[in-house]
Amino acid sequence: MAIQEQMRKGTTTVIVLNLLAEVDRPMYGYEIIQELEARSQGVFRFREGLIYPRLHEMEQDGLLRSEWQGEAGERRRKFYTITAEGRRRLAEELQDWRSFSLTVNRLLGSESRP
Amino acid sequence: MSDVDCVLARIRTQLKLDSETEQEILAEIRSHLEEAVAQAQAEGLDEAQALARASARFGVEEEVGRDLQATHAGWGTADAVVAAALPVLCALILRWLAFAPDGTAAGWLQVLSRPVFWIVALAALLLPLVRFGRWRYALAGWAIFWALTVISVVSPALRW
Repeated sequence: MAIQEQMRKGTTTVIVLNLLAEVDRPMYGYEIIQELEARSQGVFRFREGLIYPRLHEMEQDGLLRSEWQGEAGERRRKFYTITAEGRRRLAEELQDWRSFSLTVNRLLGSESRP
Repeated sequence: MSDVDCVLARIRTQLKLDSETEQEILAEIRSHLEEAVAQAQAEGLDEAQALARASARFGVEEEVGRDLQATHAGWGTADAVVAAALPVLCALILRWLAFAPDGTAAGWLQVLSRPVFWIVALAALLLPLVRFGRWRYALAGWAIFWALTVISVVSPALRW
């Protein structure tokens, strides 16, 4: 698997986990995409369909749990909630991310530049 | 067939999963596409333009379908071990509870009144359900469990 593909998957996982932990309520796929785009002011835009394999993967890994909601005659939506395991993974991923970004910044010398 | 149905059909060409899982995946994506189309129409686009925008933002359907197939296809080793071993293990426990060490079915009639019998029987049903989240897998495992139990009871060759 290409590094770029791994980065995309890993980044999506931590961003989605972080969003669900921050809002602390169930969200459905389309809502997650809209919220991420709004928060990134349009910079974070990916092919929307590719979020579903990641959501399902996270659910299989026990990081999220899902529940269908919607009355008869209404649009039914599958809502995702972060689990305790998801919060634990998020804390690890954020720690790794901070460490990684600090190291890259050091290597690029950005701390010493204006 | 509506345009949304056409998009879903292209995704479905890449899926080779059980029908329950496929239906759930496609229902979720249908909901996504219908909401995206509705939002685009609310912004002033006509139906064709709205669907074109929703489809473009969704990505290549076949790629999404392949990714979903890869995510859902196959069980891990742990799943395979649970699925294969649990019914056998539970049947062996029941057999051990039901028969005396010499192989006579001394305890079979009494075993129904013992709580451990019902605990084992429920475990054979509920553990696969919790693990796989699908009634069909749980019931299939339960059926195997009962089949093995009945075979072990009625077949003298299996007694020791």
